[in-house]
Amino acid sequence: MYKFKLLIFLIVFFVSYNLFAQDKFEKESRIKPKDVPSKALSFIDSLKMDTKVKWYLEEGLNKKSIEAKYKQNKVSYSIEFDSIGKIEDIEIEVNWGDLESSLSESISSQLQQNCSSHRIEKVQRQFTGSENDLFTFLNTRIILEHLNINYEIIVRCKQLNEVDLFEYLFNKNGKLISTSKLVLKNSSQLEY
Amino acid sequence: MLLQFKNTVHAQSSYQFGALPSLNLNKKMKNDWSLNFKIESRLLFQSGEINGDVDKNFNNVLTDFSLIGAKKIGLNSRIAGGYMIRFKEGNLYHRFIQQYVIVQKLSGFRLAHRFLSDQTFSESEEPEFRLRYRITSELPLNGESVNPRELYLKINNEYINSLQEKTYDLEIRLVPLLGYEITDQFKIETGVDYRINSFLTDNTRHSYWMTLNFFIEL
Repeated sequence: MYKFKLLIFLIVFFVSYNLFAQDKFEKESRIKPKDVPSKALSFIDSLKMDTKVKWYLEEGLNKKSIEAKYKQNKVSYSIEFDSIGKIEDIEIEVNWGDLESSLSESISSQLQQNCSSHRIEKVQRQFTGSENDLFTFLNTRIILEHLNINYEIIVRCKQLNEVDLFEYLFNKNGKLISTSKLVLKNSSQLEY
Repeated sequence: MLLQFKNTVHAQSSYQFGALPSLNLNKKMKNDWSLNFKIESRLLFQSGEINGDVDKNFNNVLTDFSLIGAKKIGLNSRIAGGYMIRFKEGNLYHRFIQQYVIVQKLSGFRLAHRFLSDQTFSESEEPEFRLRYRITSELPLNGESVNPRELYLKINNEYINSLQEKTYDLEIRLVPLLGYEITDQFKIETGVDYRINSFLTDNTRHSYWMTLNFFIEL
């Protein structure tokens, strides 16, 4: 019984920890293809696209990742790899109006709870799963059943007279997974 | 360019060449307030008429000290007001400043629009009232945004409407700068600050100031 209570406590602790808005610092630098791990490079090469791919190194507080960005048929794609080149997720920019109404209503309801007013800046559909399933999806647009879909949403949110930018992650049913406050770059050199 | 070419034909055109070093200290306060303290000097190396007399005497023309308080009023916008005191050739000038700035984050660069009004008073000159608009673009030379140990390109373009003794003048500034972010708290910029004024009255003056800016976040 004691172990069960401890388990419940740990689950509640981690869930509430994840839901609490953490500050998110991210440094993104452009890198050349020669500096990209060969595994990531060959994954993108095997997609045989005729579009230009830009590579970035993303450095957060605790992890580094490699990101390939490109546009295809006017849609922005972002494919994230870990530091050794193993694919982590695919993010595709979508229009807020294109989301299913039940999903957008659920997300809106959550945002209305958290913000006195809000504006959605960017919506990305995020796919995670095995390398093979992700590769199949990129090649054929077929969403295999093992692929997991989340929605990453950048929101301008007003709380207690302060306006900040937040990154929300929702699951495919519109249930909140995590929130982080985006730390904006200083702009004093643009103002004075 | 056309203005410069047109005015080189007239004998009235003059020029100035010098340096404009500045130090900006910025401090974030509670409740979205911030302070900016700035010291700027204007050092003249050479001046004269185009195709005419040249004065190569070094002259420390002026030094400005300003303090501006700003309040963030939106995600990317700020209103600010402050005071500047100018020491120029033994005279004191008092300037009151009001500004509104909005910074847009676009794909791969940032764009800032600054709307500013100021009023300058001194015992040696009639009051001067100015309305200014400046657009600034910041282009990171590596990645999507400027990060520590990275270079960036900053370009200012400003239009300054001035009214003094019932005389209107327009000054245009173009300032391309190369910047380097040493840390999140410390940036250095250098470039040329080009200014053209009095071209409406055919007494065009071109000014070229070598710029060195330091921005420090306290």
